[in-house]
Amino acid sequence: MEATLFYILAVVTIIGTVMAITEKHPVHAIVYLVTSFFSLAMIFFLLAAPLIAMFEVIIYAGAVMVLFMFVIMMLDLGRPSEAGLPGVRQWILPSVLGGIILLSIMAVAVRHFSAPDTHGIISITDFSVTLFRKYGIAIEIISMQLLFAVVGALYLGRKR
Amino acid sequence: MIVPLEHIIALAAILFSLGLVCTLVWRSNVIMLLIGIEIMLNAAMLVFVGGSSKWGMPDGQVFALMIMAMTSAEVSLALALVVYLHRRRNTVDVDEFRELRD
Amino acid sequence: MWMNSGSSGTEMKLCLELIILLPLLGAIANLLLGGRLLPRRAGEVLACVAIWGSFVATLAAATAYSAPVTVEIASWLAVFDFKAPLSLYLDPLSLSLCLMITFVCGLIHIYAVEYMKDDPSYVRFFALLNLFVAAMLTLVLAENLPLLYLGWEGVGFCSYALIGFWYKDPKNATAGRKAFIVTRIGDIGLGIAIVWLFQLCGTVSILQINRMGTLLPMSVITALGLLMLLAAMGKSAQVPLMVWLPDAMAGPTPVSAQIHAATMVTAGVYLLMRMFPLIGASATVTAAIAVTGALTAFYGASCALAQRDLKRILAFSTISQIGYMMLGVGAGGITAATFHLLEHAFFKALLFLGAGCVITAMHHEQDIFRMGGLRRRLPATFWPFLGGALCLAGVPLTGGFFSKDGILGAVWLKGGALYSGLYVVGLITAFITAVYTTRMLLIVFEGEETDHCRGGSCARPDEEGHPQGAPLPRVMTITLIPLALLAIFGGLLNLPDYLGGGLLNTFLSHPGSQEQQLTHSSELLLQGLAAVVALGGMGAGWLRYGGLRRQLRLAEAQLPARGLTAFLMEGWRVDALYGLLFVRPYVRLSDFLWQKLDEGCIDDSLDRMAHLLGRCGQWLGGWGQGRVSLSLISMAAGAALLIGWFAWSLL
Repeated sequence: MEATLFYILAVVTIIGTVMAITEKHPVHAIVYLVTSFFSLAMIFFLLAAPLIAMFEVIIYAGAVMVLFMFVIMMLDLGRPSEAGLPGVRQWILPSVLGGIILLSIMAVAVRHFSAPDTHGIISITDFSVTLFRKYGIAIEIISMQLLFAVVGALYLGRKR
Repeated sequence: MIVPLEHIIALAAILFSLGLVCTLVWRSNVIMLLIGIEIMLNAAMLVFVGGSSKWGMPDGQVFALMIMAMTSAEVSLALALVVYLHRRRNTVDVDEFRELRD
Repeated sequence: MWMNSGSSGTEMKLCLELIILLPLLGAIANLLLGGRLLPRRAGEVLACVAIWGSFVATLAAATAYSAPVTVEIASWLAVFDFKAPLSLYLDPLSLSLCLMITFVCGLIHIYAVEYMKDDPSYVRFFALLNLFVAAMLTLVLAENLPLLYLGWEGVGFCSYALIGFWYKDPKNATAGRKAFIVTRIGDIGLGIAIVWLFQLCGTVSILQINRMGTLLPMSVITALGLLMLLAAMGKSAQVPLMVWLPDAMAGPTPVSAQIHAATMVTAGVYLLMRMFPLIGASATVTAAIAVTGALTAFYGASCALAQRDLKRILAFSTISQIGYMMLGVGAGGITAATFHLLEHAFFKALLFLGAGCVITAMHHEQDIFRMGGLRRRLPATFWPFLGGALCLAGVPLTGGFFSKDGILGAVWLKGGALYSGLYVVGLITAFITAVYTTRMLLIVFEGEETDHCRGGSCARPDEEGHPQGAPLPRVMTITLIPLALLAIFGGLLNLPDYLGGGLLNTFLSHPGSQEQQLTHSSELLLQGLAAVVALGGMGAGWLRYGGLRRQLRLAEAQLPARGLTAFLMEGWRVDALYGLLFVRPYVRLSDFLWQKLDEGCIDDSLDRMAHLLGRCGQWLGGWGQGRVSLSLISMAAGAALLIGWFAWSLL
């Protein structure tokens, strides 16, 4: 049952992503992507990471995508771009490269992770303990990075 | 563990490739380029979470969270740059931004 | 061979060293100091003093001479068992040649000072002349073949450089190149012969090789002899390698006199004489030498019959006379050939210098049909020139008569069908020689002064109002006199037996070799025949060109040459033949290699490759132009490569 759900969600994710990247209308692309992220959040949930799933919804599908949407609207890029969708020829080389990477990862993954899995569920307590005990310094660094990002964004966005 | 790790990695690989293709194809639009980066980062997160689930260790989830935090910082800064550049050059074509060449 | 002991040995060594070193030093000094440090006069004096000093040293060596000596000056080439020291060998042959060379060249140097007095590049001229003399003396005195080869190539180089002396005219430069290349064909023969001899005998010493000659198989000796004959053909302008000598007259006249008449061209004959104890053993070789000589003699004489250019007449006559020498060598008459060589050096140098006087007086006009009446205008030139011409024609009792007769006598003595035929050819050649000599004399010096002399450039009257060209410097005519005396009375050097025997004959005769002698009566008979032929030839020449008929011939000469005349004038069209056979295919091949292979294939492929690389570079350069999308693509490609390779290696 859960496995079936995973595969359905996986298909939804992939379709959403494909639609997002092939959509010439940026706003539509964002919406497809939000769909994709929602299903990805569901996958996280199925993988016993409810906290990450929630963050995914809140931060990614919520904040980040909305930020994108804001910028698109602010810059008035909502219309389909004049150049439109890149031509077929421009897709060839990226697709080949992406295909090579995909196949390589697949090949490696299939061979090397067949060991049986273990262990029970990861509780939120475990997560929090690990986060703040073990990776306390990382938290500090990330928070400082966020601060710098705020300062930088303010600097770039100021009126002159 | 509901599905084998291989399948999760396969999904992540597909997402990563799609993100990469998006990044490479959308040279005419910085926004779409950034979206491609987001997709790739999501794929990475998926692998972290999958691994965490497989071995029952919370570290993977911690890193997923950190990626998320880092992404939001990156996105905010990148979009600020896009706004700034659009204000100056009135375009979002990546190839127009080449002042860093010299 | 053996050293004189004690003081006379060292004295001899010093003399021999000085003979070669003085001209060499003269050349070096002139090259290094001439032009800037030395005034012109000093350079000229230096050049002359060097040669005359060499002559004095030769004289000293001659007085001290008692028996053949070998003097080793220094080691030169010594590798394993190959040894070619700087060793000199003085025997009657080399001594007499040295005396002749230094004396004639000394006179020519003095003459050249006047002849070249307006030429700005006198430093190069005198340095090369001196260098030539040094190389020639090295050739003559060399005891071993590599040293001889050094001199051989040295004279070849100087000849090349001096023929093309006025190199700004492409014609002269071409003539120089032609001489160099044609003689090179012969030099290959000598080179092969030297190496082969070393391989066979284990030594390069001429004396030792000559002594070992009997040990070698006859076929090898024949092959070696033919190789040396090839070398001699190149150097001495024998058929079929004679084409360079007429063109060599492009050089200044003193050069023609010194190199291309008196000394260098006889080097081939000298080589054959030197090696005669070895190669003379093969009847094939001697016959080949004799036939070559006779053919060349006839060829040269017949060509000289039709030439218009004074210097070319003399050039062909030189070819012809050297042919006589070869004939003498082929007949085994080494003494006769040597005698003729010396005698020829005197009278041919004399004729060339006389021609130089005439040419100077005519303002560098060389066409004999535009000369005339010079007997009255240039008496100081005419009388010595007449002497030389009589010698050349072989008029009885002149030196030329005796020397030529010696050769014909040697041929006659050899007997047999072949040599009898060659004797007849020699007689016919003597007849023709007399005819063309008379023609030259009559046309140049007799008759009225032509328009060219009276009017035109050279007829500006000088202060006394005489219609006179450039006044000849006295030095130029004075140098003719000793040469003329030597030429005419040179016969005294080697009188026939019935007149008391020859000085040269006894001097030159080796203790070992017995040259057969004619009986007095047959010798007298032969000489009588030769005299009749020579006088007959002169008579025929007089009949055709003498007196009033001279005008007739002048008128004929205005017309373009036809038929036999043209054929002879162009030297039997050998030049054209060689051009067709060798030069044109070679030029074609060179053109092909140059344009198709080198430029079309090699250069073009290189060009294309460079172009391709340039394009690649530009293409690669486009990479670094900072285009974000390109950078992204490249990064992705790199990542794909790395990950792909990683996966591949894991699989």
